[in-house]
Amino acid sequence: MPCTPEESSAEPMNCDDSQVKDEVSGKEKLRRWINRQMKIEMTDGRILVGVFLCTDRDGNIILGSCSEYQQTDGGFDEPRLLGLVMVPGRHVVSLHLAPNNSDGETT
Amino acid sequence: MADNSLSSSPSNLEEDKKEYVGNSPGMSPVILPVDSYSWENITEDFFNAVKDLELGELLHDELFGLFEAMSAIEMMDPKMDAGMLCNRGNKAAMTFDQAVDCGQLKLQGLTFSEQISIVDSTLACLVSWLEGHSLVQTVFTNLYLHKPHFIQDRPLKAFCICIYKIVDLIKDFVNRGFVFEEEDFQPTVYGYRLLPDVPEQKAVAMLREVEDELGRRLRSKPPPEPEELNEFDDCLALHARIRFTRLFYQSLSVLNKRENQGGNLGECQKLLTTCAEAIPLLSKTVDRGAPPIESDDSHGPIAIGFDPLVNQRLLPPTFPRYTRIKTREEAYRYLDDLIARLKQACKIVNCTSFHSALDMFIEMSRSNPCIVSRSVMQLLYTPQSNKSQVEALREAARTFICPPALSHKSTLLNNPQAKEYVDSFLNHCVMPFGNLIQLCGHNRARQRDKLAHLLEEFATLQDEAERVDVFLHNLSLKSESPRPHLACFGTWVLYPLLRIMIMFLLSGFELELYSTHEYPYIFWYLYEFLYGWLMSSLTRADSFLSEQEMMSSGEGKNRSQRRNKTKKKRTRPYAREITLYQALQNMCGGYYKAMLGFKLDGKVRLPHTEFDSERVRYEHRFAPFTGLLTPPPVQYGEFREMAAALQQSGSTSLYLAGCKHFHTARTFLDSIAQPDNEIQDLLRVAKTNFVVLKLLATGHKKDSSTPPEFDFSCHHQFPIIKIC
Repeated sequence: MPCTPEESSAEPMNCDDSQVKDEVSGKEKLRRWINRQMKIEMTDGRILVGVFLCTDRDGNIILGSCSEYQQTDGGFDEPRLLGLVMVPGRHVVSLHLAPNNSDGETT
Repeated sequence: MADNSLSSSPSNLEEDKKEYVGNSPGMSPVILPVDSYSWENITEDFFNAVKDLELGELLHDELFGLFEAMSAIEMMDPKMDAGMLCNRGNKAAMTFDQAVDCGQLKLQGLTFSEQISIVDSTLACLVSWLEGHSLVQTVFTNLYLHKPHFIQDRPLKAFCICIYKIVDLIKDFVNRGFVFEEEDFQPTVYGYRLLPDVPEQKAVAMLREVEDELGRRLRSKPPPEPEELNEFDDCLALHARIRFTRLFYQSLSVLNKRENQGGNLGECQKLLTTCAEAIPLLSKTVDRGAPPIESDDSHGPIAIGFDPLVNQRLLPPTFPRYTRIKTREEAYRYLDDLIARLKQACKIVNCTSFHSALDMFIEMSRSNPCIVSRSVMQLLYTPQSNKSQVEALREAARTFICPPALSHKSTLLNNPQAKEYVDSFLNHCVMPFGNLIQLCGHNRARQRDKLAHLLEEFATLQDEAERVDVFLHNLSLKSESPRPHLACFGTWVLYPLLRIMIMFLLSGFELELYSTHEYPYIFWYLYEFLYGWLMSSLTRADSFLSEQEMMSSGEGKNRSQRRNKTKKKRTRPYAREITLYQALQNMCGGYYKAMLGFKLDGKVRLPHTEFDSERVRYEHRFAPFTGLLTPPPVQYGEFREMAAALQQSGSTSLYLAGCKHFHTARTFLDSIAQPDNEIQDLLRVAKTNFVVLKLLATGHKKDSSTPPEFDFSCHHQFPIIKIC
């Protein structure tokens, strides 16, 4: 059964289904990721973990309640809480999404 | 779907548990972001997906808007991203104990030269703190200050302890003076204790001992061998520093004593003078200290015992991670100026009347003094009790205009109702007048804001003053010795009110708020109204005073008419002020007419009318005046009419008229006896503008449409006009 955008947004758990994925527009995909935990690696090696709030065409990203992890010799430093940050798209090296676990979506 | 999420949650919980790999040094749990969860890589997906968005389109939740987005910190922006410049390649900062253990921090056996270097750098940090930086990024980057009691070398130990006390005193001044804003001063100490357990006498005694010891050393070997010459000079330089620190600390602590100020302040002036005398030697010997080590770009040179990043953990995340500390030479220059300013501030105790004190505050504020001197001045002036403030104001009103009700011989206040009215009026005066004094202690940029608010307070006061006047007037006419009482208190309140209005308008020039095309109506308002009203209020006070004097010396009239006349001439107390205001009024007239001329000649760049309405600008500029009854606000239409009428005469005659104004201003300024710096600056401005306008009137550069320049370097409110 084909999945319309409305249905898919109501059931975000299905997004890992490859069949559905092909048919969802980019915008819809982004909309599903909103308010989820995201991990961003920046060009200078720092890692930011926060809630994905907003983006635009250039891939600039706004994260809420963001923590910054600095790379040190033996791994990562204790995080610093930054709050609301904007990461310019050109400084993003990689993006990771936290699995959609119990927090959030069910409420 | 529900099943799905339920089944996934237990495994997630387990995973979560694994991420806690123990506690950080700060006892907070460390989560390793790398292995957390089963992160899903969406880099490619994401960057493909955003291509679907239009240019400028934002994809976001309903609850998140552009407004929230504005307050985000931009990462990788050198000004906002605190994490960017820091720590790159640096090892973590060492604490005091760690540095001592690994031998980086010597607790004893420091050479004189090293100690000089530490002293100078610490003073440079202190000065940077006074310029608005955080304590932990300045003074407390000195590791020796973290545990001063552990230092074995006595000069350094005494110095470090004294620095704590100095920081404490200054913090106290600023907190009590209460004229600081976030941009002036950061009072937070971030948990450092400023050695409250070391009493003042002990700190001073420690410094004195060290001083004596170094002094003995200097005397003990009178003819220093050439190879020892260096050490001898170093010792001399260190001795001078310790002595300076002691004197500086002592003078601050005298200032801080609240009781019997009069006598103590003489002592303080003496201490400050000796302090200032020591400074040339200190700045001359800065190079005797061990030179700071050049480090990576962001921190500049670092002296031994300092670590700019040692307190980084204590700062909020958005804090800039490095602070540019002043150089040692700059620091001594700053301290020299600071001492001069403190001496100036002490003079406030000599001001016996409210009005002379207000003038002194305004005068002092012109030079944009530092937060320490501003606070000290407030503290030295502010009377302690409400009652003494009322008395001070009663005296101020008496000397200003001598209202019959306040005259010593008057029987008016025997009427209980009159007494109540006057007393409650004076009580109401305490707040606005006190605020006016306090306002002068704030930094220049904040003053404008506060002036606008103060206008409202004075407007209410003005209203009350007039009602009290009318009541007393009626009462006085019925008494045995009838005297008019109209506009007595009213004038006394009107005078500061007008000064506030003028200060408000002039501050716009100083803060560079006005565009050139706005100058005409600003100068017009000052020229046509404010200065005129100000002078008439002074003249009224003047004539009232002399009337009073005539009355009181009425009995002696028959004795000698001539003596009476000369006496009258001598006691025109406001002559100087009136002359100055006449000069300023003429200068404003000169600018106003010159501006109209420039406009006619097309020398002023005007904004496009479709984006800009002059009326709106006008109303915005004079908005704080609209709530006033006396003086009534002047409407925009009036400006248009008067300006249009003047512009009929053509630009040449406007320049000529402006030229005359500057000439008159100059004549008035020249006639003031004992001109201070302010008047000399104004004279220079008036003279130059006179010449410039004269040139313009002869048709010089008539066809050029290059806009004239206004140069505020000579006087920061009255510019020199330049044509190029």
